[in-house]
Amino acid sequence: MSETTGRDVVPGKPIQIHDPSLRDGHHAVRHNLGPDQLRAYARAANAARVPVVEVGHGNGLGASSLQVGQARLSDDEMLSITREALTNSKLAVFLLPGWGTVQDIKNALAHEVDLVRIGTHCTEGSLAERHLGFLREQNVEAHAVLLMSHMASPDRLAKECALLVGFGATGVGIMDSAGHYLPADVTERIQAMRAAVDVPVMFHGHNNLGMAVANSIAAAEAGADILDACARGFGAGAGNTQLEVLVPVLERVGYQTGIDLYRLLDAADIAERELMPAPPTIDSISIVSGLAGVFSGFKNPVLDISAREGVDPRDVFFELGRRQVVAGQEDLIVDVALALSGARIGDKS
Amino acid sequence: MNNNDSRKAAGQLSVAVLGAGLIGIDLMTKIMRSDYLDLRLVAGRDRATSGLRQAARLGLPVAAGGIQSLIEAEHPFDVVFDATSASYHAEHAEKLSPFGTMLIDLTPSRVGQMIIPTVNRADISWHRDLSMVSCGGQTSVPILHAIAKAHKIDYIEVVTTAATLSIGHGTRVNLDEYVETTAEAVRCFTGVRDVKAIVNISPARPPATFRVAMSLLGRELTTDSMHSLVTEAADEVRSFASGFDVKACSVNDGKAFVAVEVTSSGDQIPRFAGNLDIINSAAIHVAESYAADRLSMAGAEKP
Repeated sequence: MSETTGRDVVPGKPIQIHDPSLRDGHHAVRHNLGPDQLRAYARAANAARVPVVEVGHGNGLGASSLQVGQARLSDDEMLSITREALTNSKLAVFLLPGWGTVQDIKNALAHEVDLVRIGTHCTEGSLAERHLGFLREQNVEAHAVLLMSHMASPDRLAKECALLVGFGATGVGIMDSAGHYLPADVTERIQAMRAAVDVPVMFHGHNNLGMAVANSIAAAEAGADILDACARGFGAGAGNTQLEVLVPVLERVGYQTGIDLYRLLDAADIAERELMPAPPTIDSISIVSGLAGVFSGFKNPVLDISAREGVDPRDVFFELGRRQVVAGQEDLIVDVALALSGARIGDKS
Repeated sequence: MNNNDSRKAAGQLSVAVLGAGLIGIDLMTKIMRSDYLDLRLVAGRDRATSGLRQAARLGLPVAAGGIQSLIEAEHPFDVVFDATSASYHAEHAEKLSPFGTMLIDLTPSRVGQMIIPTVNRADISWHRDLSMVSCGGQTSVPILHAIAKAHKIDYIEVVTTAATLSIGHGTRVNLDEYVETTAEAVRCFTGVRDVKAIVNISPARPPATFRVAMSLLGRELTTDSMHSLVTEAADEVRSFASGFDVKACSVNDGKAFVAVEVTSSGDQIPRFAGNLDIINSAAIHVAESYAADRLSMAGAEKP
């Protein structure tokens, strides 16, 4: 990439880019990506030498549901299409214990998945013990990530990470699921985690407050080894860290990603054209979601239900934030909307 | 035999609790209040754990030898509550089977006959190993069974959310079994094949109240038809779990949605942790039903 960075730096610390466009992006399109879409983007990311491409329903393996959205394709279909396309890049999957089980992991491993990420909410690392243990037995690269991490202190996150490494995680990280962090929040947390574990540390940003790239750079500077980013930011709510922005910015700062810039820009163009009706933007709802600390993926269901119940979706987000609702609790949106509209239980709405 | 006879004369069954975690501790309190059940032993595996210390403080006999303590007891127990971990239950059932003990399993092992008191209470006395399914199963099945009896249902989804403080180590390592057992119970009691169970553990402080959200797909469903079925089923459950509260019941776009929250009625369980309360209340209800069946067969009077 040296031809485009415009800065003559000594090649610096390698940073691994992990691209969950085909997983987190599903939240933006109601889990509706089809075979051609998966194939087109996976091929483009592979050509750009993106090291890891993650695929699946937005909430991971086995998570297709009315609660979050039913996926157009099965896990098997998604994995066989992307596995075929990813000749260089690693294929990763995501699993939330409680949403998928070890059986779903076994099923994914049959597709020669290279890396499995196990996610739990920020203080719930112990839920991953069985799944990480299984992956260790299978000798599969297993990363553990803490969701909704803004709800826990740096110290608590560091302790959870140490616990997860004890269970067998070969990498640990945090997701800013609500897009709530400012760079100083990230620095503090990644430093605490970095000091607590010897395995690679990961950060996954969302862009609700326009901070995703800055937060990711803060993570790298604080010692993170793996950064998540999606093409055009394709992801829940305001989207994730924008991949084709983050990579050249990292290179300018002095990190090495091993990614081919032109091919990466091509992949991002393909993503915009093939995967999404429009690239994610920081709309009013996303700002409120980020401020309230509510999972970005709630955007579509909150808009749907607020319209149905005749309430202001911004009020719904702030109330969900007050209740500290986490990803997966989409069923509470109706209660909150009904409470705001003053309706009684069981009323025909 | 004399001892056994005198117990029957007193109208109480001898009971042991195996496991002294969150579930075991609350079971102790509930058993001590029961007219039908006489708590003779609380067996854990480590005398230093807070559960066994708490039992000892309540003046209860305690043992630290796990299942072996029950086998070696002077008199076999009429009823044993297994509040350990799913992976141990089969072994416990095998070891206790020679004693004719009624084993009530609070782990999601799926080994014994599944019992949802308001649905298949009649099955209790025909079996010696009863599975209490899961807290999500105890909460959802009464409602889902009532709806599925009246309507053709194509798909059911059950999403359980419990507060982090209400989930002990056993449940955490058994989360897969929890999900599979809950789904299996819903399939078994509704006859609907396409079922999905999901569980969230909430880190929120103050803790989130235990909640089970059910979504059903079925063409005939209407808010009116659902409402009376759900209300009636909820009333039945409230006869032994008073904190069972229907928070939502509606049909939109061909999708029915029922949400139930359960608060604890007290004892050793904080209010938000209705998950522990409902499975324990159901288990006590089952043990008492068994006691009543035995008493009526023996011709004894209610105490």
